[in-house]
Amino acid sequence: MSVVHAILRGVSWVALVYFAVLSLAYLTFTLVAWRRLGAHRRARKYLPLDEMYASPFTPPISVLLPAFNEETEIVSSVDSLLDLRYPRHEVIVINDGSTDGTLERLRAAFDLAPVRKALRTRIATAPVRASYISRTHPNLWVLDKENGGKSDALNVGMNAATHAHVCVIDADAVLEQDSLLRIIKPFVDDPELVAAAGGIVRIANGCVIDSGLLVKFGLPQSSLARFQVIEYFRAFLIGRIAFDSLNGVLIISGAFGVFKRAIVEAVGGYARDTVGEDIDLVVRLHRYLRTRGDDYRIRFVPDPVCWTEAPEDLATLSHQRRRWQRGLGETLWRHRSQIANPRAGAVGLVALPYFLLFEFLGSILQLVGIPVVLVSWLLGALSVQFFLVFLAVSVLLSVLLSIAAIMLEEYSVQRYKRASDIALLALYGVLENLGYRQMTAFFGCRGVVDLMRRRHEWGEMRRRGLERPEEAPSAREQARA
Amino acid sequence: MNEPEAARDLPLVLAADDDEDILELLVFRLERSGYSVLQARDGEEALELAREAKPDLAVIDVTMPKLDGFELTRRLRAEEVTRRMPIILLTARTQDADLERGFDTGADDYLRKPFSPQELSARVHAILGRR
Amino acid sequence: MTIVALALSAAALLMLLVLAARRLVLARRERGHAESERRVRPLALAIVEGSGGEPPALSARDQAVLAEVLGRYSRELTGEADRRIADYFHESAALTSAGGELGSRRMWRRAAAAYTLGDMRCAEAAPELLRALDDDKPEVRGAVARSLGRLGVSEAALPLIEALASRRISNEVGGEALIELGSDVVPELRHMAGRPAWQIRATAITLLGLVGTSGDSPVGVEALRDSSADVRRAAAAALGRIGSSDAETALRATLDDPVDVVRAAAAESLGLIGSRAAASELLELARTDEFRPAHAAAEALARIDPGSLAAAAAEPGAGPHLHEAADLRKL
Repeated sequence: MSVVHAILRGVSWVALVYFAVLSLAYLTFTLVAWRRLGAHRRARKYLPLDEMYASPFTPPISVLLPAFNEETEIVSSVDSLLDLRYPRHEVIVINDGSTDGTLERLRAAFDLAPVRKALRTRIATAPVRASYISRTHPNLWVLDKENGGKSDALNVGMNAATHAHVCVIDADAVLEQDSLLRIIKPFVDDPELVAAAGGIVRIANGCVIDSGLLVKFGLPQSSLARFQVIEYFRAFLIGRIAFDSLNGVLIISGAFGVFKRAIVEAVGGYARDTVGEDIDLVVRLHRYLRTRGDDYRIRFVPDPVCWTEAPEDLATLSHQRRRWQRGLGETLWRHRSQIANPRAGAVGLVALPYFLLFEFLGSILQLVGIPVVLVSWLLGALSVQFFLVFLAVSVLLSVLLSIAAIMLEEYSVQRYKRASDIALLALYGVLENLGYRQMTAFFGCRGVVDLMRRRHEWGEMRRRGLERPEEAPSAREQARA
Repeated sequence: MNEPEAARDLPLVLAADDDEDILELLVFRLERSGYSVLQARDGEEALELAREAKPDLAVIDVTMPKLDGFELTRRLRAEEVTRRMPIILLTARTQDADLERGFDTGADDYLRKPFSPQELSARVHAILGRR
Repeated sequence: MTIVALALSAAALLMLLVLAARRLVLARRERGHAESERRVRPLALAIVEGSGGEPPALSARDQAVLAEVLGRYSRELTGEADRRIADYFHESAALTSAGGELGSRRMWRRAAAAYTLGDMRCAEAAPELLRALDDDKPEVRGAVARSLGRLGVSEAALPLIEALASRRISNEVGGEALIELGSDVVPELRHMAGRPAWQIRATAITLLGLVGTSGDSPVGVEALRDSSADVRRAAAAALGRIGSSDAETALRATLDDPVDVVRAAAAESLGLIGSRAAASELLELARTDEFRPAHAAAEALARIDPGSLAAAAAEPGAGPHLHEAADLRKL
C-alpha cells in the first residue's frame, strides 16, 4: 500500500508544482499582456491606417493561398482577399493537386488565362503543371501543381511571389478588411528590424460571414466551439502577446502571417517533412537571424486579424490537436540544440523550454493531474490541505486567468458586444476544467504517442529523393562562428 | 419600379460606396445640386439598381466589396441597358495604375479621394448637361 | 489554505461583476453616442456644404460627437469643405483642448491630440504641431507628421524631410505627408539629394520621383552615379516618372550596374519612358540576367516593342521571363 501511496504522492507533488508554475507563468503573461493591450487600444485613436492605405511607400504584399479540395469556399475566399483594403497586393492561389472542382470554380469565376509565369528556383518544389492569370483581376494568379502538401504549395508560392513581403493564409481563414494594413504595420515602423509578423486568430463560428466578409460577431452555439473560444483567448491573447515582448514569438499561425520573402528563401522555405511546418519555419528564422548577428524582431500584432472555423465535432478536434502536438514535438526535436541554449536568446531560454515543458510534456500532466490528486486524496495518501491547495492552483487560478483573459479582450478589442456573451464565456471558463481541458490533453497525449510511433496521418506524399531544402547552420557550425 | 425615362423631372444619379461617410456626403451634395439619388453600398447592389432604375449617371467608388468599381464598370458597359450610362469613378489618390484601368474598362471620368464636393457636382453637371 | 481558495474565488467573482457592469455601462454609452450621431449628422453635412445658418446650441456631448463626425468627414474631403470645417473649429473649445493635450505627459494623449488637430483643418495649429515634431515618442511624431501633411503646412517641408531622413518618422507616414504638401517641397528635396547620409539621398530622390517634374531629371541622372546602391536604385525608379531625354542614355548605362535591383529599376523605368533604343539591351537582360532584372526587362520590352518581344519569345532559349511577358501581352 505504501508503495502505491508513495507513487501517488510523488505524481501529485509533480502535478502541484507543474500547475503552480504554469499558473504563475500565465499570471505574469496576463500582466504583461494587460499593459500592451492597453497601449494598443489607445493607439487606435491615432493609428495612421488611412495614410498607410494612401501611401506609395507602403510595401506591396504577395498573398499566398494554398488550396486543396476547397471547391465550396475557394471563390468567396479569393474574392474577399482581392477586396482587402490595401494599396498594392497580389493574390497567388496554389492549387495543390485538388481532386475536386477547385480549379474549375476558379477558372469560371475569374476568367483565367494561361500564362507561363516565371518562377524562382531557389526553393525546390514539386513541378508546377500550369499557371494562369485572371483576365478580370490582373493581380490574381493561379498556379496548378501536383499534390505535394501545404509546405510544398507554400514554397511554390514563395518562388512565384513578385513582392518582397509575402502573406501566408489558409483557405478557410477570414480576414477583416484592414487586416493587411494592421499586420504590415510592424514592418512599416521598423523596416530593417522586422522579419515576420503574426496576428491574433479568433474563432469564426457564430459570426455571420457574407461573401467572405465578417458582418457580425457572435459566440458560437456549439459547446465545443465555445470552449475553444475561451481557450484561444488564454493562449493567443495572453500567451502570444507576452512572448512578443520578449522577442520570443514561436508561433506565427499558418492561418495568417507575413514574412520577408528573401529571409524565408534564405532558410530554404517551409520544411516538407513535418506537420508543424509553421512553427518549424519560425524557429529556423530565429536561428538564421541570430546567426547573422544583426538585431531583428519577429512580431505579434494584438489585433484580431484572422478568423477561422473551429472544429465542432470531437473527431476533427482530436485530429487537429494530435497534429498540433506532433508538429510541436517534431519542431522541438529538430531544434533541440536550441533549448536552454543561451546563444539562442529568449527563444532558447524562455520560449522553447516553455513549450517543451508546459505545452508538450504538459499534456500528460494536464490529463492525469487532477484525477491522480483526487484519487490520492480519497485513498488517504494526501492531506486535505494539499488537495485544497492543488485545487486552488489548478482549477481556481485557471478560472481566474480565463476571466482575466475575457476582461482583456473586453477592454482592448471588444468584438463581443453582449453582456450575456461575456457571462457565458466566463461560465465556460469554469466548465473548461471539468472535462474539456482533460480531453484536449488526452488528444495531445495521443499526438505525442503518434510522434513516438512516427505515424504520418496528414495525408500528403513524402517526396523522397528530392533535393532537401538547405538547413540552417547546425549547432556546431554556430559554435564555430 | 421602372420609371419611363421621359417622365422623370429630376435626373437620377446612382451613388455607390461602401464607406457610410462618403456615401452620405455624395448623396447630400448630389441632392442639393438638384438630382435624385439612389444609394448602393456594394457593387452587386449597384448593379441591380442600375439595371432596374436606369440612372442617368453613376458615381462609383473603385474599392467596394463583392464587386469592385472596375468590375462593375465592365459589367455595366457589357449590358445593353446601361452601356451608355456615364460613369465617374472615385479613386484613392496615388493609384495611377487605377486610372489606366478605369479608362480601359470604360469609365468616363474620375475623381480622386479626398474629393471636393464642388468638383463632383461640377463634373456631374458637365456630363449631364451635355446630354 | 481555505482562505486562499476563498480569496481567489472572491476575486474571480469580483472580476466577473466588474466585467458585466462595464459591459452594460459601455453598451448604454454606445447607444447614447449613436443617438447623438443621428442628431448631429445633418448639422455636420450642413456645415460641410455651407448650407444652414448658425448651428443651434448643443449639449456638450453632442458637440463632442459633432467634432468627431466633422473630423471623419474632413478625411474624405478637400477644397471648400476643408475651409468650412476649419471655420467651424476656429477658436472652438475642441481646438483649444486638443492644443492643450499636445503638452500632456501621456504619450497616447499627445498622439491622439496631434492626430485630431489634423482633422480640424485649422492652420493656427501649425506652430504647435511643428514643435511637437521633436517629441521623443515615434507614435506622436507620426501623428504630427500626418497632421502637418493634412494641413498643408509648407514650412513643415524641411523639418519633415529631416525627420524622415533621420528615421524619426516612417517613410510611409512621412512620405505621404510630403506628397500632400506637393510641389512646395521640391526645392528642399533637391537640396537633400546632395547630403552625406545615403538614407537621406535615397528618400529625397524617391520623393522627387513622386512630386517632381521633368525639370528635376538632372538630379536623378546625377544620382545614378551615386556610390550607394540604394540611392542608385531610387534614382533609377524615380526617372521612370520624371525622366526626360537625357535620362534615357544614363538609364541604359545603368543596365550594367553591378547590383541586381538597380538594373531592375533601370529596366522598369526604360519601359515607362518608352525607350525603343534600349530594346536590344533589354532583350539581353531578359534572356540572361538574374530574376529581378530579367523580369523587369521582359515587362519593359512588352511596353516598348511587343513585336520583337513576341519574336524573341518564340525562339529556343528565350527563358521564362520572355515567355511570361509575351503570354501576358497576348491577353
